[in-house]
Amino acid sequence: MFSIQETPLDVMALRHEMADPTCGALVVFEGLVRNHHEGRDVEKLHYTHHPILAQKEGKRIVAETMKKFPTVKALAIHRIGTLEIGECAVVTLTASAHREAAFEANRHLIDSIKARVPIWKQETYATGEVEWTSPCPNCGPVPHSCP
Amino acid sequence: MKALILTGGKSSRMGQDKASLKIGGVTQLDRIVSLIEPLTDQIFLSVAHDDETQRSLPTLPDLEPSPGPLGGLQAAFSADPKSSWLVIACDLPMIQKEDLEDLVKQSDPSKDATCFLNPLDDHPEPLCAHYAPSAAGKLAKVLEKNQRCARRFMASLDRIDLVPSDPRALLNLNRPEHLVELQHLQEHGAIEKEVKVEYFARLSQEAGMDSDVVHTSVATIAGLWEELRLKHHFSLDLPHVKPAIDNEFAEWTDLLSSGQTIAFMPPFAGG
Repeated sequence: MFSIQETPLDVMALRHEMADPTCGALVVFEGLVRNHHEGRDVEKLHYTHHPILAQKEGKRIVAETMKKFPTVKALAIHRIGTLEIGECAVVTLTASAHREAAFEANRHLIDSIKARVPIWKQETYATGEVEWTSPCPNCGPVPHSCP
Repeated sequence: MKALILTGGKSSRMGQDKASLKIGGVTQLDRIVSLIEPLTDQIFLSVAHDDETQRSLPTLPDLEPSPGPLGGLQAAFSADPKSSWLVIACDLPMIQKEDLEDLVKQSDPSKDATCFLNPLDDHPEPLCAHYAPSAAGKLAKVLEKNQRCARRFMASLDRIDLVPSDPRALLNLNRPEHLVELQHLQEHGAIEKEVKVEYFARLSQEAGMDSDVVHTSVATIAGLWEELRLKHHFSLDLPHVKPAIDNEFAEWTDLLSSGQTIAFMPPFAGG
């Protein structure tokens, strides 16, 4: 299951949802809003998304993860809207009989979500500046560059 | 006036020599030659320092290995400092006869150069321009200081700035996606279409809108992107953008048709 929501994530409720007597391992990853980015003080984040494609791609990733790790149950939720420091932006849960597969599957799940789901964040800095965050330095604006 | 065609080397992004790329059965080099021929019969090819290949036109080898983009002009002024030089890169598939005529007709002997302002950023373009002999001394000075940036050199000259006939006239044939676009247009002609375009995140901010209805005659998604990139001065280049058609990821070479919804998305940054 994958979904996107504007309201705060209730991680405890999601743990209950994953409860399964056959699972001896539950791995929960929470992506939190931190107060700094590349040396600058961050005040808050604003997440936006492509509503249809983000949902579709997220569902595909969860299904793929469960296919790749057949012993694992997986669940992921991403938040959008404005988030304060310390709030949870994304949570991925993977449950399995043993911890190894649950850990591996969780890593695959969160890495794929970050790389493939059309979600963007805008950072508001302590200085009041607001900027779109780029995940890689080569993806920033490409002005003419000469030595 | 003499003309110099910059044939460039093997393009890493195209994976092959751009001068020999064919659109409608005609190589880029042959097309440029045919546009210049009515303007002058003294046409030279700029080639690498050690290039001794036999060509259909006389060559002007660079004076040294890897001199940068100004090496061709340097070799041209070294061969004839008293002539003006029309310098054209061979990878400008959209440049028209009228554009080159303009560079010649609008030139003024009291100026160093006549050139076009690139619609993408309003900078004067150095590699499709007409240089007067007075530019030769200034070129020698910047090269002495090892300043090899062609755009910066052009910006430093006393110029006449022109606007090209079509905003796309100065688009470089830099990527395989562009070649596919131009080949389609050549084969099937320009067909009018109406599509809805959606912009996300940084792109929506730069365009000043979330969505738009666009009338276009381009063939592929890549063609549409280049057209809109010029219109909105987007800061991202094609490899850093992901397109979607009707809410599904698409390829840049996918064909456009009326009624589609096209999304352009900057690099994802979830988590």
